[in-house]
Amino acid sequence: MLSFFLPLFLVFLMLGLPVVFGLLAAPAILLWLNGQERDIVLLYRNVYEGMNSFPLMAIPFFMLAGELMNRGGISARIVGFAQAMVGHFRGGLAQVNVVDSMLFAGISGSAVADVSALGSIIIPQMEKKGYPKPFAAAITAASAIIGPIIPPSGIMIIYAYVMGESVAALFLAGIVPGVLIGIALMITIKLMANRYNLPEAMPRANWGEAARAGGAAFWPLMTPVLLMGGILSGVFTPTEAAAVAVGYSFFISIFVLRTLTWRDLPGVLTRAGITSSVVMLLVGAAMAFKTVAALAHTPELLASTLLSITENPLLLLLLVNLLLFIVGMFLDAGPAIIILGPILGPIFVSLGVDPVHFAVVMVVNLTVGLLTPPMGLVLFATSAVSGLRVETISRAVLPFLLVEFLVILLITYIPAISLTLPRLAGFVD
Amino acid sequence: QEIMLRATANSNEQDEDYDGLVVFKNYVENASNGAIGVEIFMGTQLCGKGDECLAGVADGTIDIYISTSGGAAGLFPYIQVLDLPYLMSDDRVAEEVLTGTDFTAKLRAMALADSGDTIRLMTIGNTGGWRNYANTKGRIAAPADLAGLKMRTVPADLPQTLATTLGASPTPIPWPELFTSLQTGVVEGTANGITDIMSMKFTDAGIKYLTLDGHSYMGAFWWMGNNRFKSLTPEQQQIVVDGFAALQQATFASPKRKEIQAYADFRAAGGEIYVPTAEEKAAFKAAVDPVFEWFKGNVKGGPEVLDAFTAAVAEAEAAVAADRAAELN
Amino acid sequence: MVVVILAQVFYRYALNNALPWPEEASRFLMMWSTGLMAPTAFRRGGFVAIDMIIRLLPRMVATGLSVFLMGVTILVLWIALGIGWSEVTGIGGRFETDSLRVPVSLDLVTWMKVPKSWMMASMLVGVALLLLVAVELALRNLYALVRGPEGLRDIPDTVMLGSGAE
Ligand code: NA
Ligand code: NA
Repeated sequence: MLSFFLPLFLVFLMLGLPVVFGLLAAPAILLWLNGQERDIVLLYRNVYEGMNSFPLMAIPFFMLAGELMNRGGISARIVGFAQAMVGHFRGGLAQVNVVDSMLFAGISGSAVADVSALGSIIIPQMEKKGYPKPFAAAITAASAIIGPIIPPSGIMIIYAYVMGESVAALFLAGIVPGVLIGIALMITIKLMANRYNLPEAMPRANWGEAARAGGAAFWPLMTPVLLMGGILSGVFTPTEAAAVAVGYSFFISIFVLRTLTWRDLPGVLTRAGITSSVVMLLVGAAMAFKTVAALAHTPELLASTLLSITENPLLLLLLVNLLLFIVGMFLDAGPAIIILGPILGPIFVSLGVDPVHFAVVMVVNLTVGLLTPPMGLVLFATSAVSGLRVETISRAVLPFLLVEFLVILLITYIPAISLTLPRLAGFVD
Repeated sequence: QEIMLRATANSNEQDEDYDGLVVFKNYVENASNGAIGVEIFMGTQLCGKGDECLAGVADGTIDIYISTSGGAAGLFPYIQVLDLPYLMSDDRVAEEVLTGTDFTAKLRAMALADSGDTIRLMTIGNTGGWRNYANTKGRIAAPADLAGLKMRTVPADLPQTLATTLGASPTPIPWPELFTSLQTGVVEGTANGITDIMSMKFTDAGIKYLTLDGHSYMGAFWWMGNNRFKSLTPEQQQIVVDGFAALQQATFASPKRKEIQAYADFRAAGGEIYVPTAEEKAAFKAAVDPVFEWFKGNVKGGPEVLDAFTAAVAEAEAAVAADRAAELN
Repeated sequence: MVVVILAQVFYRYALNNALPWPEEASRFLMMWSTGLMAPTAFRRGGFVAIDMIIRLLPRMVATGLSVFLMGVTILVLWIALGIGWSEVTGIGGRFETDSLRVPVSLDLVTWMKVPKSWMMASMLVGVALLLLVAVELALRNLYALVRGPEGLRDIPDTVMLGSGAE
């Protein structure tokens, strides 16, 4: 009886109930029908305690840091720098679109922030140069998902929090896969440029121009260096690193680059506060949802079902990729990790898959899920930025989605892609 | 089953807590001929922290829960008495205190009074042996070796005071961040049992030196909802308390068995284990004196509980001495 | 929050003297900021939902469906309000926080430990405000159902944001 909370949740979701309320209403209704009204208290308590965690605090901080950097032309500087680097390739602005996302990923932990910060600049530029608008929107969306794969990353923080993994190890593990997705997208654009006759490249930037563009973007681009350096040398913990990022971006935006004024601050704080409160509530609600899943013994059921199909880790990983892809269509990455991570993680660890490797597979897969309807947050954000319909963008994004799925398979079957950096830093043996 | 008891522990299935729960479940289900069932939820599936879980015990959403002293200190600060350093000399004395004296009954009465008759202390077992100092820097043989060392502590008052008293620099780090913090040097030491050190693979994070000073006994406080307990028939209540007695014995035995492998793994990972001499232990003991004054002056119910505890320890030491004398005869 | 944590890093790293309270204090602030900001997020449309089906339906049916969904939302929040009240006033709220103290005498000599209920109240207040917002949104929908969408003043600063962690 209790296990019907999952279908009921999906029904609520499809009808249009906000995810947060769906995560709470579906289990609560089934507890009530099952005569377990008393256990509804557990839902409330787990929402509260799910949010009440120090490591999670890194998420609002990284958001605030992103907002601070965003507000004053820093995104434009990053786009400028990317242009100087790859603008002269064929399909230049499309390549720029990918590279700016890779650079921005080192500052921001969120794909949605990437779309709103960069998309509003680069989509109009691409349109002016003669790129079809759906193509411009699609490459913006497809590259934005690098944001939470290259550190810092809100999703990795959630994964580490739920699974007790080291945030630093996950951050390191995401770097190469993130860059790999970027390169794969750039190769795809190159191939498409020849076939679909994408607009001409821009003239190659000379050394002086490149240096100037690099200089303008220098301080923001130092953020990831400061963060990872501080974490790896033991000056601060990953959570504290997020606060340091806020302090750093505040300092350079106000005093060094003067792109931000004191008068902008209330607006920045409000926006960051609003977005963080949504994430925090979602995390809390997913924790509560998970509690009811435990009461219904769903984890054991799902685990034994999976293992009854096959015990071959390679096949299982393929199955899980499919499962995650489907789940990613209906759930955002955060709640999906909270609900599924503790179920799937232990199965694979017991079969000999490295926990950090599995984390990357799961995180990348669910991040790509942000590009798939009906629940595709990056699609929603790109639609808001470009004014195109979600349906149009999701059609145009298909080729890139396919490429990203191939990269997922690479990451799945070549553990070294994720594990080499954490191994060098001593996080993985 | 007419009655289903919902038990939870925030640790995993490799932990002593789980061994205890399995023994409890087996005993209760057999002795009640299936009338009472026990459903075990390990980890943080139902609740994740002491206050949250004990609130569940109080309102009946959770029937059985194990906390450390830290997990319950927010409501019953005096149970931190077990964290006071160097009060009990070894397992035999500690186990006698917890089985043969009325110390547990005294805490039970105080906790019932302080929780409005909702939270009942069933028994005190062990979770992880004894707390020892482990660090990444060097051998700790004297209190002076702790000076300036960045020791991870929980944010509670007593461990903070203890670390400060010894001259260490207490650094509050949440448990999930401890591995990375040790690895990167945010903290340099931690006070845990060997099984926790090895199950978290702290040796991979640079922990190399372990001093077996055994400064405190890692007591496991097993709680049950009092209303739930009282709703059972007297026969069923007896089955449950007998189940807890069996559970207590299991948690006494389990760490002793588990730590053999853990110590071997620690050495294999390149760790150094140091056993302080009697004089060195005496020096540690002398150095921590101010902590006792602090406990009496700052913890609600502190003096009363400390007196009861020292009396219980004296009684237990006498009993163990008598037993030993008889055994040596 | 940021200042509190930066102070923590500074004290520990520069002064080699870790403070016991910043961790809990910043959590305290985070919980309250969530409780106070979530209602604004909800009002401005920041709670992600799939609007595909609603957009496909004729306007009257769609508005009816959103009134139903609002009803579910209000019910969830109403129950949460009751539970929240008993949580704040119950056993859990009586726990002391680990490290937070406030002065209870004007000369700052006597300090008391902050009970957890002060922190737990953040969610109760948040739920109460969310309930107000939900009722407002439901009334707007009802109004639109009966009289059509004209005459309703727009909610300012409507955002289109997913959960930002992604
Ligand atoms: Na981009
Ligand atoms: Na990032």
